[in-house]
Amino acid sequence: MKRLMKGLKLAWTVYRKEITDALRDRRTLLTVLVSSVLMGPLVLVAISMLVASLESRAELREVVVDGIENAPSLINFFERQTYTVKTAPAGYEAQLRNATLADPVVVVPKDFEAALLRGEAPIVEIVSDSANQRSLAGAGRVQRLLAGFSRERVMITLALRGVAGDVLEPVQVEERDLASTQTRATQITGMLPYFVMMAVLYGALNAALDTTAGERERGSLEPLLANPLERWVLVAGKWGAVATVGMLIAVLSSFSFLPGQWVLRSDTLAAMFQYGSREALWFLVVLLPFAAAVSALLMAVAIRCKTFKEAQASATVVMLGASLLPLINVFSLGSDSPWYLWVPALAQNVLMTRVLKGEDFTAMQIGVPLAVCVALAAAGVWFVARTLRSAAVR
Amino acid sequence: MIQIEHLAKQFAAPRTGRGLFKRGQAGVPVQAVADVNLRAPDGHITGLLGPNGAGKTTTLRMLAGLIAPDAGHVAVDGIDVATQPRDALARMGVLSDARGLYPRLTARENIVYYGRLQGMAVDAAQARAEALAQMLDMKPLLERRTEGFSQGERMKTALARALVHDPANIVLDEPTNGLDVLATRALRESLRWLRTPAGGAKCIVFSTHIMQEVERLCDSVVLVSHGRTVATGTVADLLAQTGQTDFEEAFVALAFSPDGATR
Repeated sequence: MKRLMKGLKLAWTVYRKEITDALRDRRTLLTVLVSSVLMGPLVLVAISMLVASLESRAELREVVVDGIENAPSLINFFERQTYTVKTAPAGYEAQLRNATLADPVVVVPKDFEAALLRGEAPIVEIVSDSANQRSLAGAGRVQRLLAGFSRERVMITLALRGVAGDVLEPVQVEERDLASTQTRATQITGMLPYFVMMAVLYGALNAALDTTAGERERGSLEPLLANPLERWVLVAGKWGAVATVGMLIAVLSSFSFLPGQWVLRSDTLAAMFQYGSREALWFLVVLLPFAAAVSALLMAVAIRCKTFKEAQASATVVMLGASLLPLINVFSLGSDSPWYLWVPALAQNVLMTRVLKGEDFTAMQIGVPLAVCVALAAAGVWFVARTLRSAAVR
Repeated sequence: MIQIEHLAKQFAAPRTGRGLFKRGQAGVPVQAVADVNLRAPDGHITGLLGPNGAGKTTTLRMLAGLIAPDAGHVAVDGIDVATQPRDALARMGVLSDARGLYPRLTARENIVYYGRLQGMAVDAAQARAEALAQMLDMKPLLERRTEGFSQGERMKTALARALVHDPANIVLDEPTNGLDVLATRALRESLRWLRTPAGGAKCIVFSTHIMQEVERLCDSVVLVSHGRTVATGTVADLLAQTGQTDFEEAFVALAFSPDGATR
């Protein structure tokens, strides 16, 4: 017991030194803060600007038509639907391609009216560019509008012949969307957990490499081990410091979305993206164990490397794994399998997505990833402690 | 008091001629230390002299408990390093071959950190850092971050760090490497003082491959070659043993004679 207390006291000394050391590395910390922590809110703002632009297009109720003069009846229909009709600019195809034109263009052929009268079904083109997201979004709207025009023509024709319009619609279709507002928002905000996890990883990366491979490269590990310390004490202190840095980044990035959403440009998105202190705290519940586990893992990878550079190359594997695993959740489109919870990085992504959807957790959903993180951290620390002495003299 | 008896250590050979897709063959294991014996009493500077690759650093690493020996016995003030490494380390100040400092910490923080790791209270460690800075003439360096220190400044900081807990035994691995004349002289003065009763009558073990260092400083010499102790005694003893008047000649005769290498 006395030995344990003494060990903890010494580990605290190591921890304090490592924290001081890491926090004095201002340039690295600043880079991490700017690139990782600010990234999430910036992406959020960017998304909101896109959504706002789509919304404003829809609200404008404009149709761009090439060959207005050919189709007075169509124009009349558009105007009755309270749409403003605009003439397509010359060279609209090129403009659509390079995305300077944000609306799809309706192309009306010369003999439109005559063909319509003859019942020849004239071809009306909707021109958009599938690489031009905004024009593509508008294309659906214009298509529905044109379908409305066709339906109206049919109804009139049928009515003239004394047939009820209902004949054409033997089945009535109505859509009912079960998704809550928050669930719908995750279609857009689904990548936020990913950014937060990357921030934690990059935050821990430098500190983890510096206390292991960096210490070897500087030649300070051998003299350090000439102190009468048990190795677990040394490693516990170092790991604690690295994990603290990772956790600090986790706290900062989780809470950075709070001010981030004040500047949301889209009212709809602002209403859908409900991220308050409660969500931020849940993010932390998920992220703090993850930060601790990842720190230990990175240290275990780096202790085998003689130089910082070599360690960076090796750590790429961890970083790649942590960036690819969450994609499983993204591609599975929301139907999670139970084994997801057992995979680090993936489990955190699943849980944070649930937080954003406003869904509740079961004890299992919290417990399994937590246990995995604890096991991973313990294994990492054990491995570093075991390797430390041979690493110092090689 | 440091005692090393029949110390031996073999390293697995690095693989040779490794290509990208094929593993090279394992070479012959390297016998870094075969039979090193050393007895360093208190109040005495013992030089561990030997050519490059003689096994000095490996011997000192085993003394510091960083490598487990294959055979032999190492004791510091009667404490067995193999069974009680931490008790032994607490009685030793080791300036190892690698002497990296923490560049973002000041010299004082570097020294005090090691004091804390040795179990000293903050105040005691601070006071000790001051005293050592006085002795090593490095007061102006104390509050500076060690990033950008010169070789001599690094060396002084590393030495102060190793001595912070006022150990009875001091082990220095090639401490004059990379030091200029003045810094070497200053170091020599410090070591001489530490040997005196006023300086604490320390047991000092000092490894080097430079004969002048040994002649000027050491009370006795342990000459190591090819991992073995080939001669022990004062400089005068070794001269008499080889019938030489020049210590360098005596060194070459002892370290590189076919007799000395195989004995």
